Amino acid sequence: MSDPDTVGFLATVPLLDGRDEATLADLARILRLRTIAKDEVVWRQGEDGREMLFVVEGALSASLHVPGNRTVEIGRAGPGDTVGEVALLDGGPHTMSVRAVKTTTAFALGRVDLAALLAPQDPAAFGLRRAVAALLTARHRNQLAHLADSLGGDAAGPPAEDADRAFAELEYCGPPDSRYVRRMATFHDFDPLALWGFLTSGSYARCPRGRTLLAEGAPSTACYLTINGAVEQVLARGSRRIRVGLAGPGRAFGYEGLVDGGPSPVTAVTRERALLLVLPRDRFTTLFHGEDAVARVVLDVIQRELVATLRQTLRPHARLAASI
Amino acid sequence: MCRILAYLGDPLPVHHLLFDTDNSLVRQSYRPRMMNTFLNLAGFGMKAWDPASLRPDEPFSYRATTLPSFDRNLRFLSAKVAPTCVVAHVRGVTYSDEAVVGETNLHPFHFPGTRVVLAHNGHLREFRRMRYALVEHIRPELAQRIEGTTDSEWIYALVLSQLADPFGMPDTRELADATAAALRILRSLRVERGIDTSSPVNLCVSTGRSLVSTRFSFDYGWYPPEDEMLETDLPYVSLWYAIGGEYARRDGGWEMTDGDPARSLIIASEPLTVDHPGWFEVPEYSMLTAELSPAGLEFETRDLDV
Repeated sequence: MSDPDTVGFLATVPLLDGRDEATLADLARILRLRTIAKDEVVWRQGEDGREMLFVVEGALSASLHVPGNRTVEIGRAGPGDTVGEVALLDGGPHTMSVRAVKTTTAFALGRVDLAALLAPQDPAAFGLRRAVAALLTARHRNQLAHLADSLGGDAAGPPAEDADRAFAELEYCGPPDSRYVRRMATFHDFDPLALWGFLTSGSYARCPRGRTLLAEGAPSTACYLTINGAVEQVLARGSRRIRVGLAGPGRAFGYEGLVDGGPSPVTAVTRERALLLVLPRDRFTTLFHGEDAVARVVLDVIQRELVATLRQTLRPHARLAASI
Repeated sequence: MCRILAYLGDPLPVHHLLFDTDNSLVRQSYRPRMMNTFLNLAGFGMKAWDPASLRPDEPFSYRATTLPSFDRNLRFLSAKVAPTCVVAHVRGVTYSDEAVVGETNLHPFHFPGTRVVLAHNGHLREFRRMRYALVEHIRPELAQRIEGTTDSEWIYALVLSQLADPFGMPDTRELADATAAALRILRSLRVERGIDTSSPVNLCVSTGRSLVSTRFSFDYGWYPPEDEMLETDLPYVSLWYAIGGEYARRDGGWEMTDGDPARSLIIASEPLTVDHPGWFEVPEYSMLTAELSPAGLEFETRDLDV
């Protein structure tokens, strides 16, 4: 494939939507074209992630190992889709095994090259970070929809009014002990000034145990970051209720609808009493679309959160698949 | 903080669980992968039930404060024993002059004459403030058997005290109910005393026929600002399981083979292999129960809201 053809293809990739031609040309130079034979295993779940793929032609199948040494197909990727980015972003193992359903050609992007694309503090890198957040949010929504289908029945979570009431009744308070915050792994590698800017961009609030802060299907009023305590994210269908995530210290929730404009995909309930950093919708939107050091912290926090959430959501997926 | 392991299923050489895999329990004593800045060098303990042995309801017992990786006796014995149930533990303590390393503090705990053993991964913060309030919830004949200085042994005595007959053989449901009841008592005493800091209580409780395990924490996410265990406790204390036919070496690696119905279950603080696609994280705030029956292994997970 010639460079102009590659650039033309990259312009059709949703992840790269809106990138200018120079950025795509830079990317084209570092991509490596791979041909994958039908039924060839590209990588196995649990293996170290060394590259992500942009599918040009063909189809890849992603499958999950479930209890009993069995696998279930979770999804397929076709032209323009990407696979493997989660393991590249957090340095962990691949979350699923990927196999070619038919002969497939794909561009491979290595871990170091992806990191180099995301690292600069320039508009292109900020744009790519937002695109990654949107892609991961879409993946997260797909996973949750798949889970909800497995559960069957109609959504049966608490009404949106419960979340509105909990938001209105939040007990605002002063910031947490900075000695504690500095020791949280979530914040270790941020520039101290930018981190301080992030930690002072919202308000702190206490919330008792058992309060619904987000209702599935309703708009998000704020993005929250747990400082103390824990908030569980659940899906409820009929009489069945499964936890799909637990936001303990340093973990964010409530951002999905603020990233892509959709409704909240889950219900969030405080499992323990909690101290939360609250970034209301407008404040979050300003930071998310900003291009300064504080915006960088926000984008990093959301990206890490999405990657952790995608991994976490596979746990009930595996258990449900095993029970079907 | 410690690492725990439990096995229930077809006879399995203990060596496979303790030494053979690349993240075996013994390796987790000196190179845990899911603990921050903490090692588990304060001793090893194990209870193992072998139906072919003399008095099969009584477990084989081994414990030593020496490092298990250099313990030749343990290596030789574990290569010869193939039990159907194992509970094993490597103990970690804080690096402080208050920590007591001694045989009486080694898990799994097992009072003479009882059928239940217990191992604990976690710690009750501010335990000294509630220790003696526990006495009224523990049967005197059990309280007098407490020999060590750990919160875990008190939890063991508390669980036993919730059984109708602490010296009998409880079924799986009774064991699970007793474990949940003990956690409720701990919760209530903590509330009475205003103790509201994170206290993980991952337990493995077993009779050799039944296995009950919890992945649980009181007040998860709340810590004193300068707590020495903070980095270790910020993530919810890990617990994993693998379930299937048999745990065996395949193609150079260790895996749980397919099994329908399942015949073998391993529960461990960390997967026993670095590459672990066949391992599944136990949900937070949950209890696992398992029981061996002629039809296979009966296994259940449920939310633990105490």
